[in-house]
Amino acid sequence: MEIKTAEYRVWSEGTTIFYEGTMRLSGTEAYAPIQEMMDKMLEAKPALIILDLRNLEFLNSSGINLLAKFTINVRKNPGTGLEVRGTTRIPWQGKSLQNLKKLHSAVNLIID
Amino acid sequence: MTAHFGHTELDAGSEAPRLRIVLSEGPLELRWTHCSLTADFIADLFAGLAARAKIDEDGARHTIGYLANELLENAVKFRAPGDVVVEATLDGAEFTLAISNYATPEMAKGLEGLIQDITSKDPSDLLIERMEANAENPESTGSGLGLLTLVNDYGVRLGWTIEPQAAGASVHIRTIANVTLS
Repeated sequence: MEIKTAEYRVWSEGTTIFYEGTMRLSGTEAYAPIQEMMDKMLEAKPALIILDLRNLEFLNSSGINLLAKFTINVRKNPGTGLEVRGTTRIPWQGKSLQNLKKLHSAVNLIID
Repeated sequence: MTAHFGHTELDAGSEAPRLRIVLSEGPLELRWTHCSLTADFIADLFAGLAARAKIDEDGARHTIGYLANELLENAVKFRAPGDVVVEATLDGAEFTLAISNYATPEMAKGLEGLIQDITSKDPSDLLIERMEANAENPESTGSGLGLLTLVNDYGVRLGWTIEPQAAGASVHIRTIANVTLS
């Protein structure tokens, strides 16, 4: 499955979801198709879901809210683990991804 | 009565570069895309100026871009009819942004509640609290998170001037944000 616009692309391969580009959508409703894609993957109860953010150059706070919400949903499903991949090359990832660990300490946060 | 919270002056040396942009109500049809367009323009311009002061240009572009975009999104999303005025200065490593807009009295009341929380609680605890609350409430718009990430993740200092207008139909809000670029 893939969601693609001129500014960003989100797609899944196996149980990994990749995010690319710049996401500055206008709020919860605008992010709903992406949230649906993430929730569907969680509903299938895989052992591990990987969010690969290493090519997501920019994310607004509504998008950070989406990641936080998903992390909390994973926390409520103890059979599924969560790995979040980021990079220090992209400043928001070094600054904001640490918050996900505070929401769910079992998140495996890998920031290259 | 006008209420002030935190530091509300846009003070910079007379030599400091300054920028003023007015997003006018009317034919411009102010909309969501104007937030990112304006934020990117301010970020590019001031990151270039910051680089001359030996500040990391990419880091400055990102911080200014995130800051400007979040404040503009708030100003556009919650506005009542009226212009949105954006002012920015860079004094050494100190970047300051002021955004003025009009909002409904209900929106201004919500903002005052958030300001009370921001000024009385630990921003890190408050951010996590707000994320938990948003996840519990499917109707939640996620609002407030932008300001909290600015304070907690970016070390931004915020101030507000909130001024009810004579007719009582709208409130003028000026948000000032200051960050030390590195």
